[in-house]
Parts: sequence; structure tokens; C-alpha cells
Amino acid sequence: MSHALRADQFLLDADRTTWHDETLWFVREKRDRAVYAVPEFQALRELASQIKDHTLSRLDRYLQEFEAAAQANGVHVHWAADAAEHNAIILAIIRQQGATRIVKSKSMLTEECHLNPYLLQHGIEVVDTDLGERIIQFREEAPSHIVLPAIHLKKEDVGDTFHLHLGTEKGESDPQRLTEAARQHLRAKFLAGQVAISGVNFAVAETGGVVVCTNEGNADLGVNLAQVHIACMGIEKLIPRLTDLGVFTRLLARSATGQPVTTYTSHFTQPVAGKEMHVVIVDNGRTQQLGRPDFRASLKCIRCGACMNTCPVYRRSGGHSYDFTVPGPIGAILSPNIDMKKHASLPFASTLCGSCTDVCPVKIDIHTQLYKWRQVLGEANEIPASKKWSMKFMGRLLASARVYGLSGQFARKALRFLPHGLTHAASFNAWAVARELPEPPQQSFREWYQQQPKPVPQPPQPQVPA
Amino acid sequence: MSSASRTRILLAAQANKPAETLLPTVPDFGGEATAERFSAVLAGIGGTVVWLDGLGQLGSTLQQLFPEARNTASPLFAGTVPVDAGTPTEVLADIDLAVLTGEIGVAENGAIWLPEANMLHRALPTITQHLALVLDHRRIVATMHQAYAQLPGTGGYGTFVAGPSKTADIEQSLVIGAHGARSLVVLLY
Amino acid sequence: MKVALFVPCYIDQFYPQVGVATLQLLEKLGVPAYFPAQQTCCGQPLANSGCERDALPIYKHFVRTFQDYDYVVAPSGSCVYHVRKHFDKLEQTAEVQHVRGAAYDLIDFISTVLQVETLPGAFPHKVGLHLSCHGQRGLHQANESELTPVRDGQLRRLLASLDGIELTHLNRNDECCGFGGTFCVSEAGISARMGQDRVADHVRNGTQVLTGSDMSCLMHLEGIVRRAQLPMRVMHAAEILNGLTP
Repeated sequence: MSHALRADQFLLDADRTTWHDETLWFVREKRDRAVYAVPEFQALRELASQIKDHTLSRLDRYLQEFEAAAQANGVHVHWAADAAEHNAIILAIIRQQGATRIVKSKSMLTEECHLNPYLLQHGIEVVDTDLGERIIQFREEAPSHIVLPAIHLKKEDVGDTFHLHLGTEKGESDPQRLTEAARQHLRAKFLAGQVAISGVNFAVAETGGVVVCTNEGNADLGVNLAQVHIACMGIEKLIPRLTDLGVFTRLLARSATGQPVTTYTSHFTQPVAGKEMHVVIVDNGRTQQLGRPDFRASLKCIRCGACMNTCPVYRRSGGHSYDFTVPGPIGAILSPNIDMKKHASLPFASTLCGSCTDVCPVKIDIHTQLYKWRQVLGEANEIPASKKWSMKFMGRLLASARVYGLSGQFARKALRFLPHGLTHAASFNAWAVARELPEPPQQSFREWYQQQPKPVPQPPQPQVPA
Repeated sequence: MSSASRTRILLAAQANKPAETLLPTVPDFGGEATAERFSAVLAGIGGTVVWLDGLGQLGSTLQQLFPEARNTASPLFAGTVPVDAGTPTEVLADIDLAVLTGEIGVAENGAIWLPEANMLHRALPTITQHLALVLDHRRIVATMHQAYAQLPGTGGYGTFVAGPSKTADIEQSLVIGAHGARSLVVLLY
Repeated sequence: MKVALFVPCYIDQFYPQVGVATLQLLEKLGVPAYFPAQQTCCGQPLANSGCERDALPIYKHFVRTFQDYDYVVAPSGSCVYHVRKHFDKLEQTAEVQHVRGAAYDLIDFISTVLQVETLPGAFPHKVGLHLSCHGQRGLHQANESELTPVRDGQLRRLLASLDGIELTHLNRNDECCGFGGTFCVSEAGISARMGQDRVADHVRNGTQVLTGSDMSCLMHLEGIVRRAQLPMRVMHAAEILNGLTP
């Protein structure tokens, strides 16, 4: 199913679409205020971009540097070529512990690898501890946003879910009371947790440590109470130096939610004596993306979600309309690398307005990459045949002034003389579902121009024969 | 299996990486390193600043701020619960108030660097119901750049704490007190 | 100064008055412009649909048509942006490089090349300015809200110089209208919704005349305004600056 069809489903509820759009625009406005308040913000974006470019340009060496430093810290380092291997590694660590009680803070990578269902198949239940993640876990849904996983839900929806799963009062929809119920419920899970899985925001090659940013404190609470910490990271999470964190921690939360920084910016470097820390380094298509010059900059992403909040299409179609772990503009340039056929419509789910590029804290040229993916998809015949053939036809038409002039005359006449009901029929004309066609004028500009009696400046003599 | 993948990933990264680009030097952008700025920003993210005339006032100030706290833990005074790295989870879970020493305050975002060495137990800053951090106002810097520049290292574990635990996962409504400490008071001296 | 007028295909066919206004406005500013009759299109509709290869003959035709002029001026920033940014697919001959650099949006040409910041005339109406993304974010003709709270730009200044004009203060100063070329049919639902929301912002804040420098966005917005039968006129900025009254 294409993005457009799923978007149409979302749009059916016009009021909810308005609410979704306004809720995310509110986040975008908070982001703006936070950004305007930092005079050097644009310089920071440039620095972050350069640091990430540099890191990618010697990624193999930074990976090894990180591994060596982590191992020297007593951390177990694992390498996973793909999602299956990532999942198998985690299952093996859990089994080695004989653990059954697992808590997990937010990690888009584990979503990408479908870790939860995999572990469930093997008899291990994972409790997501981020509030938004827990809500959608109860509802057996995928996150619809990488920072705000339950942003598609209203508080009444959450109230219903908590009534069902946590026994809160029916009809209770106060966010404060619902959050308190989740706090009590999850506290028991934290206290009992044997293995804690976390994502990674930044992995510092120099120190071998990983940095995890949360507002709720769920990563810290889970990890610091459990016997074993497993941190899962894509290879693109690396940064060279501790000092680079100064740049990224100033950009991340401001871009994501408009906060000056996340509540907890936690540096996990060594396990406590007697406990274990593991880092799983995952490729899963990332080195392939690194080898695509037009698209490798997508690996600079720090998963702030700003491109989603600003995207006028995302705000009106919802995260699930993308049918990919990472929705929105960044998801639309990451997903075709994973499965070009399945995600062929995503690079077209954009007006190429460029707002995503302008909010991106690491200056990924997202809208340019969307344009370039369209070309890749066109060449690979992954665009609808009707579009392909009409474009070929247009290509010939528009390369000739004479053919173009004739067909324009014909179209305008047809529009003038055909009945409104026919020219505006939804089955023929997607334009006319919501808009009137332009009123066809008597004359085209070129026809008018040719009739002008006044002297017009003479064309210069062509130097190259046409 | 892991070592084969390691080789594969590193070789692919080596083969596919672009030509090397320069690693920029991160400048110090300056900024306002004042207690006023720090206090204002912290208030904006749900924390509170209370001034102490000196560490001698700590006990009486805490008494005023947290009259109901029964189970307290702190390296700065004799709390009711002795905590170290080996304290069992069920004991930690009952702590009402932890009073710890912050190392560096960051004026631009209200964050305080809290290293493992100051925590008694790694879980204490998040498992406690309320957290108070004592901070020397002369240790306030302007930005995260300056904070990282002052860190000798990050130790085994350390965290920048900026305000109380919070969430906005339900309809973007801000709720203070998600899973970590429900409140944060910074005691400046 | 040899200036060619590029009238994009949909303006030629549906909005000839915009081409006329552009020509007349340039003449008033002392710049006679020539309209090379063999011109067709910049090729953007094909390229944005993923058919860049099929657009190459159009690109070449465009370069051949305009290579002998100092400037190519169009009342559509989107086409200009396409020529500047995406004609990189052609072999970069001297002619190609020249045409890419010579292409100007009308308002950009007036502001940057002619260095005109004010125009005579009056337009005593409440005017809502639609900032088109390719002109604003692509050609940097106006400040972007992603970067700064200051609402400033070439067209805003030119319009503000007219007597009696009042510019609408929008809630969302520069959100995309949802036209997006072929997006308007391939994602028709989202496109329409974006356009409706944009128009609603203007209605809410009292716009009587909706204008902009890119006719493609305005065509989409006008379609929505007319469908909803709103008391709002949609005019290209060239028409207003050329002294037309609504």
C-alpha cells in the first residue's frame, strides 16, 4: 500500500488530523524558540555536520578505537551484521544470565530489528519503560514518531489502554494521574529487572563509553538496578571525542522538543564491579548506505525527530502512514536503502519544501536526497507505470516548442467546452477532488505576445545553431 | 559469529567510506556563566534553586524543604539510610530524599554534572523520590562546551541532571515525576 | 542587458495575465524583455517524478533557448530553482553554466540585479503573502522561520513599499502550501489538506488578496479558494506590483 493511500485513511478523521498537526506544530514552535535563543546555533549545526562527516570518513578506524577503549573498560563488545544477528546476540546474553525479567529503554534500533517479538517467540517478555513506548506496547502498535512514540494517541486513548492493562478508573484521562499509574506499574518492573537493554545516542571513540539521553530517567533506573546492561547501537552513533558531546548535547534536545537539554544525559563507560555491560554494534544495511555517495549523509542523523515535527506531510498523515521504523522525511531516505520496493512511495511523500533540511541539526540535505531517491526509483522502474509513461510523453512534448504549443491550445479549448462535471470528476482528475481547475483563458501568453503590435526587442543572434 | 561479522562490517566501512574530511576544532562560544542565568533556566525546566549561606545551613534548610522525608541518604550528613554500591534494591526503593554533591552547573540549560563518585549508588539519583544537589556557585559554567572541558573524564558512570524526571508522552502534556526523582532542588552556596 | 522572459508552461496556458504583468513590470523598470517563442518548460515536473532522464532533452532545449541572454527571468521561483540546482545533470558546458547562473526569479531579479527595493503605487488592501518554498528556502529570497524569527524578504519589502497596503500576520509564516508539482495529484489528499490549512490561516487573519511570486502555489491555493467560494482574490505579485487592482 502506498503512503498516499495510508495517508487518506488518516485524513478521514479531519478533526483528529487537525489535532495531530497542531500538536506537532506546537513542538516545532518550542524548537524554534529554543533555537532562536542560542546565537551560535547555526555554527553548532555546521560543527555537528563536520564532525559527523569526519567520523563517517574514517568510520572503520573509529569503530576499532571505540572497541579497544570499551574492552579496556571491561565492556563486552559484540558485532552484528544484521537484525537477526543482533537479536541472537541479545538472546544469548539473556539466556546466559538465566534472566526472565527484561526492561528496555527507548531504542529505535531494537524496533528496527524487531527485537521484542523475537524475544517473545523465545519465551522472553521485554517491558518497554519509556512511557510512550509502554503505551504502544500495551496496544501492540508500532511507534509513530521516534521521540514521541505515542504522539498519534489522545489522552482518552491512553486512558482506555491503562484502564484495560493497569486498572485505572474507566474514563480517567488526566495525564498526571495516568503517568502516576505508569510510574507505579513500571517501578515494580525496574526493581525486578535482571537485564536492562538501552539504546545509544552517542558512542565516544576516545573513551569507549556510550551516552544515553532521556527525560524520564528510565534508562538510568533500569540499567543501574539490573545485573546486566546491553546497549544497542548502529555503527553511525560514533563520535570521536568527549568534547564533541558539547556540540551534540546542545543540539539534540533543542531540536527534538525545544528543551535546553534532556533531563538525563548519562555516560555509561564501565560496569560496576560484579556486574556486566555489553555493547552490540549493528550494521543492518548501514555500510551499504555508506557506499551510496548521494545518500550516505543520512547516516549523520542523531534521531532528534525535528524533521518529523516540521514536515507538513508527516503532521497530516501520521507516523504509521510511512510503515517504517523511522517515519517522516528522514525515514523516507533511510527506508529505500533497506527495501526499495516496499518503500518506493516514501520519497514521493514530500513536496520537497526543504523545511526538514533547514531544521536538521546535522545539516542532512534531506529534501535533496528525497529528490535523488526518486531518480533511483524511476530508473529501477519502482514508480507507477502510468506516471512513467506520461512523463516519457511529456518529455517529448516539452522538448519541442511546436508540439507543446498545439497541445496547450487543445487542452485549454477542451477545458472551456467540456462540462464542469466531466473536467472535475474525481475518477479522472485527482486535482479536482478538492480544488477548482484554473479558468482557461481565451489566449495563451505566447498567442497574446505574438499579436502585440508594439515593437519588441529583437532576439540576439544565436551563436550556436539550435 | 561475532568475529566474522566484525571483520565484515569493518571491511565494508573501510571500502565504502568517503574520502577523509577534517575534524573541526570546537570553539568555546563564551556565554553567561552566572548563577542568575542558571537559576532562571532551571526554574524553566521544573527545578528549584535555594541559596545556602554556607554548608552549615544544609541541615536546617533541608528540614524546611522536606519536612516529611523519613528515609534520607547522603554523604554530606548522617542520613537515616546508609547507602553504598552494595545496598540492595529494596532498601534503595524506599528512599524519600537523596542529597548529593554536584560538580559543575551549566547555566545555559540548568544541568549539573553528577559523577558516580558522588552518588553512593548509581541508582540513587533516579530511584529516590526527591533529589537535592549541593553546588558551589563558583562551579557554574556557561555552556556544555565549558562543562566538558572541565571534566577530567566521565568515570565509570556519570550524568548531567537537568531538573526532575519528566515526560510529555501523553498528548504533549508535561508531567513532572515520570520514573526518576519527582523533584530537584539545587542548593547553591 | 539582454533579458529573456521565461513563462512557465502552466502560466503560458492558464495565467497569461501573469506573463503580461511580468513583461510590463520589467518594461516599467527600464528592462525590455524578449520572449523567445521556442521555449517550453524547465523539466521539473518530470524530474520531481523520478524521471530526470526523460527531462534531459527538455533541459537541453531550455539551455539552447536561453543561452544567448544575460538573464532569464521567470515569474516562478520553483522553475528557476530547478534550473539552478538540478541542471547539474547536464554536461557543464559554458552554455549550461551560463544559463544556470542567468536564471532569476522575477522578484529576485528586481531586488538583486536591479537593486530596486521600493516601487511606486498604491494597493490599499489587506494582503497575505504566500512564501513559496523553492524561492524562500531554495533561492533564499526570504528569511526562514527554521533559522530566525525575523520575517523579512524581497517580496515583503517590495509589497510594503506600496501605499495603503497592509500585510497579513500569519500564524505560520512559511509553511508549505502542499502543491509540490505532481505531489498535488500523487498525494492529492494531503496536498488538498495542506492547501486548505494554508488558506484557513489567511482567512483567520483577514487576508483579502492572497499573493506570492510563484504562480504554481497560487494556482493550487486559488483552486481551493474558488472551491470554497471564499471572498479572497488570488493574484501574482507581478500583477500587484504592475499596478493592477483586484
